[in-house]
Amino acid sequence: MDTTSVLDLPGLLAAVAAGDRAALRIVYARQSTRLFGVANAILRERDVAADALQEAFLRIAGRAGQFDPARDNAEAWLAAIVRHAALDMLRARGREMPTDDPMLGEEAEAAQAEARMIATAEGRSLRDCLARLEPRSRAGIVLAFVHGLSHPQIAERLDTSPGTVRSWIRRGLIALRGGLA
Amino acid sequence: MIPADPAEREALAGEYVLGTLTASEARGIERAMDTDDALREAVLAWEARLAPLTEFAQPETPPPGLWERIAGALDPPAAAAPAPAPRPSGIWRIWALGASAVAAALAALLLLSPKPEPRLTTVLLTQGDQPAWLVEADRGALRLAALNPRPLPPDRVMQIWALPPGATAPTSLGLIPAGEGRLTVAPEGVRPEPGMLIEITLEPPGGSPAGQPTGPVLFVGRLVVATGS
Repeated sequence: MDTTSVLDLPGLLAAVAAGDRAALRIVYARQSTRLFGVANAILRERDVAADALQEAFLRIAGRAGQFDPARDNAEAWLAAIVRHAALDMLRARGREMPTDDPMLGEEAEAAQAEARMIATAEGRSLRDCLARLEPRSRAGIVLAFVHGLSHPQIAERLDTSPGTVRSWIRRGLIALRGGLA
Repeated sequence: MIPADPAEREALAGEYVLGTLTASEARGIERAMDTDDALREAVLAWEARLAPLTEFAQPETPPPGLWERIAGALDPPAAAAPAPAPRPSGIWRIWALGASAVAAALAALLLLSPKPEPRLTTVLLTQGDQPAWLVEADRGALRLAALNPRPLPPDRVMQIWALPPGATAPTSLGLIPAGEGRLTVAPEGVRPEPGMLIEITLEPPGGSPAGQPTGPVLFVGRLVVATGS
């Protein structure tokens, strides 16, 4: 466990908002492995994921003033920026990134991932809610959120139509919203 | 066009966060969030709910040199900030660069409790840029607080040094008693001032016999004014 320091992530983001590049560099040093993983899970090409992480850090530098330590979790706030930068890149490329990775969305990496996820109370609640969803709703949500798959791509994997996938996912989202405070 | 139906808005906010909207739908949500506070709140709530799912992404080391690319994109060389005027030589100069900027980070943090008179502070960093000691000038004295105490080799002590701007050799501010995480030093002949470098080196018991640092530099930073705004 890291010792909490004066320069924890919220403090660093306040410094980034004030234009401090060294603080941004510390954020990068501490978070880039996790965040590059987030971009790479969506884009699945290291070069493109690196471009997305670069774009994300430009956005972080520009938007750090919007980070609100009273409302936002710093790690989640950073990851959301990275995800949307990666999703933008994915859409700009017409979602042509390969989706035939046999490991994609499968259980092999799930044990480790679940261990990381349930390290927090929020993660445990989400895990429990996801576990209560229909498997196809759960699969759709995870494939979209983690791997950036579109409705048609998920439909192909689950052997159904994009419209059906969309309604499964919406049903799942409604259940999650009800299950999480 | 963002619909008025609450259920539909909620679903779109969730789908925006999931990433399943098309590019133009996503842009539409982003534009609407600028003026539609309720939609913005719905999106932020979905970001918070689904955030733990990012743990499903396998952490991976980014390619080497990516930070340098980012730094270059943020501050193209032509637009670089002017360099500070007088620079000391050797190792002091190398350390001066990163350390002063992080001291500015601390200055930003101190805005949370602004005080009328300007204060001099810095954070001493390790070689790996990890914050290690918080230093604050208090009139003629310096207060030091360890942020992340680490054990020392048994036969070594930590010695504090100061290098005022323009000086060519550092002055010893004394030794840090073993296991001490907080101390105040009142250096003679050296007054804390903006730009003064503070470093801690690893020395033999009793301190450096040479009157100059002999061991490796453990931590270093430069005093800056913690300004309010």
